Amino acid sequence: MLFTELNFWIFFAVVSVLYVLLPHKAQNRMLLVASYVFYGAWDWRFLSLILLSTVADYFVGFAMARENVQARRKRLLWISLAVNLGMLGIFKYLGFFADSFTDLMGLFGYTPDPITLAIVLPVGISFYTFQTLSYTIDIYRRNLEPTRDFFDFALFVAFFPQLVAGPIERASNLLPNISAPRTLSWEALGRGGVLCLTGLIKKIVIADGVAPSVNAIYASPDPSGLDIIFATWLFAIQIYCDFSGYTDIARGVAKMLGFRLMRNFAQPYFAIDPQEFWRRWHISLSTWLRDYLYISLGGNRGGRTATYRNLMLTMVLGGIWHGAAWNFVLWGIYQGGLLAAHRAVTGAHKRVGEGVRRGRAHWLGRALMIVLFFQVICYGWLLFRAQSFDQIVDFTGTLIAFGADGFWQSVIPAPPRAAILGLIWLLLWDLAIELRGNVRFYLAFPLPVRSAVYAVMIYLLAFGSTTETSAFIYFQF
Amino acid sequence: MRQQIRVIGLTVAFLILIDLTVMAILTVAQAQGKAGSLVRYFEYGRSVPGKLKAWQDNPGTRGNLFDVGWPVDQIDDTLLEAEAPVVRVYGMSFVANITRTAKGLREDLPLDLHTGPGAPPNFTYSVFLDDAAQRRAGDVAVLGILSSSVPAMAAMSNRTWVFEQPSPYTYPIFRPLPDGGLTRVDPIINSADEERSLAADPVRAAAWRAQLRREDVFYSPKTFGVAWLDASPFVRLVRRSLGTGHVDARKAAVIAPSGRHAFAYTTVLRRMVTEFAAQARAQDQHPVVFLIQTRDPMDVDLLEALGPTLVGQEIPYLATAEHVDPRDAAAFIPDGHYTPEKDRRFAEIFLALYDMLTAE
Repeated sequence: MLFTELNFWIFFAVVSVLYVLLPHKAQNRMLLVASYVFYGAWDWRFLSLILLSTVADYFVGFAMARENVQARRKRLLWISLAVNLGMLGIFKYLGFFADSFTDLMGLFGYTPDPITLAIVLPVGISFYTFQTLSYTIDIYRRNLEPTRDFFDFALFVAFFPQLVAGPIERASNLLPNISAPRTLSWEALGRGGVLCLTGLIKKIVIADGVAPSVNAIYASPDPSGLDIIFATWLFAIQIYCDFSGYTDIARGVAKMLGFRLMRNFAQPYFAIDPQEFWRRWHISLSTWLRDYLYISLGGNRGGRTATYRNLMLTMVLGGIWHGAAWNFVLWGIYQGGLLAAHRAVTGAHKRVGEGVRRGRAHWLGRALMIVLFFQVICYGWLLFRAQSFDQIVDFTGTLIAFGADGFWQSVIPAPPRAAILGLIWLLLWDLAIELRGNVRFYLAFPLPVRSAVYAVMIYLLAFGSTTETSAFIYFQF
Repeated sequence: MRQQIRVIGLTVAFLILIDLTVMAILTVAQAQGKAGSLVRYFEYGRSVPGKLKAWQDNPGTRGNLFDVGWPVDQIDDTLLEAEAPVVRVYGMSFVANITRTAKGLREDLPLDLHTGPGAPPNFTYSVFLDDAAQRRAGDVAVLGILSSSVPAMAAMSNRTWVFEQPSPYTYPIFRPLPDGGLTRVDPIINSADEERSLAADPVRAAAWRAQLRREDVFYSPKTFGVAWLDASPFVRLVRRSLGTGHVDARKAAVIAPSGRHAFAYTTVLRRMVTEFAAQARAQDQHPVVFLIQTRDPMDVDLLEALGPTLVGQEIPYLATAEHVDPRDAAAFIPDGHYTPEKDRRFAEIFLALYDMLTAE
């Protein structure tokens, strides 16, 4: 059941009607059942993993809060880590490590029996395991009181809008939103609706629109340098629109039900350095990694070398979080290297975000920096999108041989007209948020102007909805 | 709340205004004969009955496919007097491009084409069967199988599964029999004239719709229903989305290993090529199978499905995937066909095959 499919919206309409009719506690129970139905629509067997994670972390959290002996608290935390990371290890990484082990043995002349592990990756496992882990770690750190209501906790783990691709919510944000009665408002309905509309345009019109062009080049045995550049630029747009589109819809749906999910993207391609990029891209993961991994490793408290090591380790593990493949490891090393190099050059933290650096005098320089840094980010996306290590080597070699024979030949299929229009809309939309420093900038428009903008966006969605839709990229993580 | 209702009302009003503006622009453009790609973009979303009616009413329209590919027009008696063995082609544009290129390379090659736009194997095989009386001993019979058309083995007409260009020509559906053969279900409409006469014969029209609903996996109200809504460009866009989504979903369901709409296409294809070769050989003709792999990575892998059968039964074949990597974007022109250079390469391979077969 994808957000882009009609059956999801029928499902959501039924859930909404029931939601309006029920009192608060019953709303939560109904949402829990709906979330399990939503997840079970992919594969009901994997509900058992969500249940396992839920039961384990609920009881661990509860026991930890009542326990004062630090050593016992630590043991309880290890149980939570073992359950969640164990599930991830088995279902996400076991096949990868087994294959890599077989390959490694092959290098030394051994030919062990091929280990075949036909393990299916349960959708969303990386998201909900990280979400429940944050709950037990926060309790361990005494930053959070455990919830007594098992079903509320189960809803925190499985809440359907963000279950399969985030944002990775913190218990301190979502649990109070579950436990306390929520108010439904026309204003939230309207804002949620606009979020859903922007998300659908990003996903259907833009991401799915440019996907065939990207796929054609990344499936091609020997593309030209120019086509690799075009395809990688388009992939940067595709993955942003795909993932932030999903997040917008998730947040919009949640908002209509009275929930407030965290923002996951803040116009990431307006960043001019790696630190700023990671404060704008997949914010729920980058802050998770910062709070639970980077700081646990020592953060920047151990001097320069330790800081660089911690940055590198955090980003490599962040890369592996995306999937069990060497290109994600390389991507993590690349991002860690960028962050470490940037730290080495600039030294200190810089405050970044919307509304900052809006001085007109700096605009041209900043625009130039944005364009240049976008190329740096794009090489990371090449590592991320590549289908094999050999392809990374081939594509990199082609790019290094800049201007060689055949470099400028281009056969990449042009994206559809609707995707181009969608891109223009996206640029204007993100630019407006960036310059005004307000994601709800459109509320300042006079009513007729605002309505006209909505109408144009709806027409644009219809115009671009003729492309072939595909599953969200981040579902595989 | 009042403000929200005003926003919704104004948004709907602006949507209608935009739709009327687009409608006016499209009408003016069409009236001036400027049916560019943007106009066609909106036309693609018309309901199937709407498109067929527009084609009937305007025979001169660019891209009108109403009269193309009908089975009754495929059975002819051309080239009966040719001196050299005739190449009898049962295929689609891909196969036509290759064999026409072969004729370009060798002008005296007698070529008898029987093709339909994007024709599926059930079309090419049925025309081969029905054209038996027109072939002569020594002829080379070419059966084309297009990877992207394989799901249409569960369809009776392009009108149900090519939503944007629903050429109405028809073909039978073949299903496997337990004894190893194939059963054939023919459509009740087999010519453009029969199709035109449906407007005056509601009983037959209803029977035809009932047959499509019963036999054709792709038939759906999403593509055939509420044709009166075609007036709105916005509705046409929405229908295009729903229609293409429906067809894509059904294509995936047809080639899935199991499920309500799963079709035993591998079994049927294997029996088709086996029977094709047996029948051609029984008539002292030379069978050749063309396996055309298109660039869509989601397509059925024809070599995987049919390679063992063709090799095992020593049926000569030309598989494009053996000579050109279908993942190579540079091998195709924007409309999805192979480039002229690739067609020339395939043509040369085919001519070598032709020479070998006819020299025996």
